[in-house]
Amino acid sequence: MRPRLSRRLSPVVGLVLVAFFVVLAVSKPREEADVASPLIGNPAPSVRSTLVGEGDFDLSRRKGSWVVLNFFNSTCVPCRNEHPELVAFADEQAGLGDGAELFSVINDDTDEAVSAFFAEKGGDWDKVRDPDGTIAVAFGVAKVPETWVIDPSGFVRMRVVGEVTNSFLSGRIDSMRAMMSGSGS
Amino acid sequence: MSRLKAGLTWAVMAVLTVGLLAFGATRSSGPSTQEERIDAISKRLACPTCSGESIYVSRASAAESIRNEIARQVAAGQRGDNEIVAFIESRFPGSLLLPPTEGVDSLVWVLPVVALVCGFGGLVVVFRRWQREGRARANPDDADIVAAALREHDDPTDGL
Repeated sequence: MRPRLSRRLSPVVGLVLVAFFVVLAVSKPREEADVASPLIGNPAPSVRSTLVGEGDFDLSRRKGSWVVLNFFNSTCVPCRNEHPELVAFADEQAGLGDGAELFSVINDDTDEAVSAFFAEKGGDWDKVRDPDGTIAVAFGVAKVPETWVIDPSGFVRMRVVGEVTNSFLSGRIDSMRAMMSGSGS
Repeated sequence: MSRLKAGLTWAVMAVLTVGLLAFGATRSSGPSTQEERIDAISKRLACPTCSGESIYVSRASAAESIRNEIARQVAAGQRGDNEIVAFIESRFPGSLLLPPTEGVDSLVWVLPVVALVCGFGGLVVVFRRWQREGRARANPDDADIVAAALREHDDPTDGL
């Protein structure tokens, strides 16, 4: 009785295992999505720092335009993966009259490593220093990459944990822009 | 009289225990240095990127950033310890290692003490009841046996 039962069960177990591996192999990685934060809908934290190279950065002085803060580290693999998408996003926004401004916030990295990375991979937007992690803590960023969108009034509108794509970021900003202009008219 | 004395002793002990626990739970430890405050706050918060480690222990980049922020806020002197913990918790939800000591959450601290006192009181009551029930009382037969034994002891030749 027992050998017959195990003979019947073994193909079923094999089939389940094969199905499991097929699902793992063909499943898409998690797509980017908004992540909750108590900051969403509230004024963005005060961010004052310096830029890699030269110059200062004060988030409150960016009011009037959409601001995208991308928390970044040159050694993090997802950051490196999403970089071409950010380059495309920056190029696309630069072509618009009121395009969003992109800033990288440097997380636990050196000026030299960041400059070398951008020299190799492209991207001429400003890089904001965060040497003691003040900006990261203010936004609640524990791991990179993480991307935040701040509207022209200085309110936090979106947080994305993990890699982003140009199409997702542009699409969301476009829809938020349309929604705000609609509610304002 | 001795029962009354024992009861009084237990009552005094119970009052002292509850009083000392209440005092220990609510007393202010007085002004502490900035370093002590930073350490105390860091021990109450979990590192957001490493499991089971406090900010105080962890050497992870995120933990260092949070420790820097705690140090900055302590130095600024604008927020109390609980407010700083609440700020960090608002940015990194789920980072509380210890439950808050205020509001409804303080029940987490109070209830075990109440349970301990109730349990202790219950034990006292049970032990006293056992003591009362277990006390042997001599009946007339027992008295006869004791008297016979005493007689035998006083006059060992009696049986010869």
